Amino acid sequence: MKTSTITRRGLLAGTVGAAATAVLAACASTPGPVAAGGPAGSRATGTKVTGTLTFAYWGGSSGETAGFAEIKRRFEERNPGTEIILKVLPYTGFFSSIDRGIVSNTAPDLFRVDYTSIGKYISHGVLLDVTPYFSRAETEAFLPAFWNSVTYDDRAWGVPHQTDTTAIVYSKKAFETAGIGAVPDRLEDAWSWEEFSTVAAKLRASLPASKYPFAYDWTAAGAYRWSSFLYQAGGSLLSADLKRPALPSSAAAKALDFTKSFFTKKWVPANNTIKTTVYSDNFFLNQTAPMSFIGDFLVPEIADKANGYQGGEWSTTFMPRDETAASDLGGNAIVGWKGTKNPDLAAAFMKFLVSEDSMKRFCESATELPTLRTLAAEMLDYPTRPDSLAVFTKQATTITDVVVKETTVPAFASISTTLQDELELGLHGGSSESTLRAIASGIREAIGA
Amino acid sequence: MTVHPLRLRGARDARQPLRVRANTTLAASGFILPNLVMLGLFTLFPLVYAFVISFQNLDSLGWITWAGFGNYVTMVTDPVFWQSMANTGVFTLCTVPVGMALGLAIAVLLNGVLPGRTLFRSIIFLPLVVSGVATGVLGAWMFDQNNGFIDKMLQAIGLPAVDWQSNGAWALTSIILVTLWQRVGFDMLIYLAGLQGVDAGVQEAARVDGASGWQSFRYITLPLLGPSTFFLLIMNLIYSFQVFDTVWAMTRGGPGYSTTTIVSYAYRLAFDESGPSLLGYGAAVGVAIYLITLAITAVQWRLNIRREHAEQGV
Repeated sequence: MKTSTITRRGLLAGTVGAAATAVLAACASTPGPVAAGGPAGSRATGTKVTGTLTFAYWGGSSGETAGFAEIKRRFEERNPGTEIILKVLPYTGFFSSIDRGIVSNTAPDLFRVDYTSIGKYISHGVLLDVTPYFSRAETEAFLPAFWNSVTYDDRAWGVPHQTDTTAIVYSKKAFETAGIGAVPDRLEDAWSWEEFSTVAAKLRASLPASKYPFAYDWTAAGAYRWSSFLYQAGGSLLSADLKRPALPSSAAAKALDFTKSFFTKKWVPANNTIKTTVYSDNFFLNQTAPMSFIGDFLVPEIADKANGYQGGEWSTTFMPRDETAASDLGGNAIVGWKGTKNPDLAAAFMKFLVSEDSMKRFCESATELPTLRTLAAEMLDYPTRPDSLAVFTKQATTITDVVVKETTVPAFASISTTLQDELELGLHGGSSESTLRAIASGIREAIGA
Repeated sequence: MTVHPLRLRGARDARQPLRVRANTTLAASGFILPNLVMLGLFTLFPLVYAFVISFQNLDSLGWITWAGFGNYVTMVTDPVFWQSMANTGVFTLCTVPVGMALGLAIAVLLNGVLPGRTLFRSIIFLPLVVSGVATGVLGAWMFDQNNGFIDKMLQAIGLPAVDWQSNGAWALTSIILVTLWQRVGFDMLIYLAGLQGVDAGVQEAARVDGASGWQSFRYITLPLLGPSTFFLLIMNLIYSFQVFDTVWAMTRGGPGYSTTTIVSYAYRLAFDESGPSLLGYGAAVGVAIYLITLAITAVQWRLNIRREHAEQGV
């Protein structure tokens, strides 16, 4: 099997050119916002800011809430005369609330947005152009893939605040029982699809019929994480110029057949699909599956002594790889609303949020991954299961330029909907050929090809 | 001569009945005006606006283009729309008659002299005061096919576990069962009220004439419960047609589209944050729901008038 090693340096180098070129190419075909403000970096030095600002985010975890609260406190201390109002909303309904606020001209000055949704807001021209507030050196401080995720038409429409990605957690005891020996502890040694299949088959043989080898995190809006298998197989959702669907393809057929086999071979619970109320971490926590694909933000939940995993010792390993390694682009950017009355304060708080010190503290508190080069190059001081976070940190280097540029196209929200609807049918017995044709049709409609 | 003030006021009232009536009308209007404003603002305006939106391509950030009848054309050619209609039909057919029959049976049982009947009534009525979403979440836990209480119970009595969440037919069945559990208390309550209005003398006369218990129920009680049955039929039909919260909390309309009902489809189209955000198309489906509900209400109205005329011998 052909494999390729992706290093952090390789990722950085590769993403600079390819992602930027591709994102810019995509912009040419899509109606976008009118650039405002001034030349890049023209207001980067900043002036004294005062006033009040509202920052809306969803309370993903107590660590995130504590992280934002500390940043607010420190910012207000350093900038007398400023007040940051934190508006914590539930994740369900968050974007509906933001959208209603934008339409009714009452949106918060700043808000959090995931990378899969940012394209929608950029293409509607409702975000604050922060290009003038960031110097070249400041923009180059970010991992290029993530800075590219907030740029469009050569302008910056927010800041990449943190990222997360998927890796595997597993029960050591279940692996021992199944006779599974060494588990990869280096990214270079990640299981191939064949090796992963062998592991799943061994677990299947050792488990009762009511238990399943693993669960995957493609439920609801996470359906796009199916694409990790597509990328691993060497395929992509979109053509290189992002103007056409790249499906059907042999890689896509291989990925779909592989993932459908999870169900036919009873490797995953039959209800571990897209439209379900049970998420992959639930299957691990309630010990229906001794192995699960999860996002790093769930590590504290799994590690919690009282309510976390009660099945004994657990550890973390990497996503499997096929033609190449790949993982999904998770995480969030912070963006400003175009209608803010205090753009200077909004930009100043944004810059403070992504300063090295703030990002480090926040990511450590929230158990998430940083987007600054300097922080990504070191291991942060995570309070919970740093061994597990080390795996996720390395796994994040497999978020390739293709993953970034496709996940952040303006139409990705619609593409994600197509993936949800069609994969749900495909994983429930639909033919691979018709599923891929339907996904291609949905993508074509979404991007206006 | 002194004039009694009350007589004077009375005399003035008699002389100016129109003015008094005008004042009364003004006062009444003042009281009703806030309600009319609220009704207009929160019911009529959204209704009219939904009709307008249904002719637009509108997304959540306010981008609008006029679609003409495009959304309606899409709707009638959309297989998922028709599947959701069929699912709603099956759901309605299974919940309305069964729920009413169960409600009637329990009401008859608890209308008699039964020890602890007040407690039983409360227990059966309790699910109704729980919100639909909470009921749905509870249902999702109970019917969890890996760790749920229902499958554990089935296995404990030697029956095979059922794929409540991954098999479309069983998933719809689980929603129907949870809905019945929730709604039977309402049916029971209305029938209890109806039963307490049935003249005991008529039943006594039937028994004296030799009618059996079943005959008394079938030919005396049941016909006298007609207004209750009629009310429940209409209410349950409308409720079943508009079911959403239980479905969304239990299955999100899946697996596939096998439990997608018409309202959950409209929600998915327009408001689900991971959905397509097609507010115009969602509004068109909403208009279809409105028209069907209107038709049910119109049928109720006509049948009600006919029934009243029959009772009055007109």
